[in-house]
Amino acid sequence: MKKSVKIILGVSGVVVLVAALVAVWMIFGAKPQEGAKAITIEVINSADESTMYELNTDAEYLRQAMDEAEGLTYDGTESEYGMMISTVNGEVADYNMNGAYWGFYVNGEYCNYGIDTQPVLDGDAFVIEYVQ
Amino acid sequence: MSEKSSMKKSTNKNKITAKDIALIGMMIAVIEVSKFALAQVPNVELTTFWIIMFTLYLGNRIFYVIPAFILIEGAVYGFNVWWVMYLYAWPLLAVCAMMMRKKNTYFGCTILSGVFGLLFGFLCSIPYIFIGAFGMGEYEGGLMNGFRTAFTWWVAGIPFDLIHGIGNLVIMLVLYYPVTKAMHMANKIVEKE
Repeated sequence: MKKSVKIILGVSGVVVLVAALVAVWMIFGAKPQEGAKAITIEVINSADESTMYELNTDAEYLRQAMDEAEGLTYDGTESEYGMMISTVNGEVADYNMNGAYWGFYVNGEYCNYGIDTQPVLDGDAFVIEYVQ
Repeated sequence: MSEKSSMKKSTNKNKITAKDIALIGMMIAVIEVSKFALAQVPNVELTTFWIIMFTLYLGNRIFYVIPAFILIEGAVYGFNVWWVMYLYAWPLLAVCAMMMRKKNTYFGCTILSGVFGLLFGFLCSIPYIFIGAFGMGEYEGGLMNGFRTAFTWWVAGIPFDLIHGIGNLVIMLVLYYPVTKAMHMANKIVEKE
């Protein structure tokens, strides 16, 4: 067999082997799964308008879940207790100005933790409400 | 002395001499040092390269080197499932390299090292057939379960096998000629004495 034929056969063999490995991995390899916990986050603004976010997440704490909720934006100041939320979806609640704040609820109860430490469990329904 | 005749001479020796023992020790040291030096880079190793080269140029002595190397690895890193894989994977590579001795080519060595890297995970999945088949704890076991366990284990490691194979190819492509030259020189000295 000619040397050039051997080289072509050898290179082709390696390329086919690499392609086969990639194919097996893509077909049978572990794929990222949707988050295991199904939760909802409802934002109620100062005009009592509600926006609902439904998501599947693996987030351990509420802040991670809020980051994952598409369309939900928030801002605030970092403190030793975690982030103190002042703005949700662009609306500012300023307690010093008019006593307004963003209240956080989970399954109808007031959240006992800040968003950095509020645990997220499967089926949780969070509400973020403008309170004045 | 031609490459083929020098190889022939080295394989014809059946008696282990003091020189052989020294050579075997040096081969083990080279493999261990290279392995340690590249330990931080996942699946990039020089063991495949050295085993092929030593088999091609120093002949049957490799079959003393590999058991010693495997024993040292076990002693250093602990005897676990991976150690069982080493028991047949590296000797198999040496047997393949031994079959290439008569037609030692740059291209052949590159393909052998690359394919060995690509199939390393597949080879190493064999013990998992038995682990899966015999079952553990609440798991049932059975031959099908064994194959499933081995297959899952192999598939999970395919990205590392690709790195391994490509790494082996590149190493052989880069080091074959300089090391071959050095091996020729060393072989001449070894055979002369």
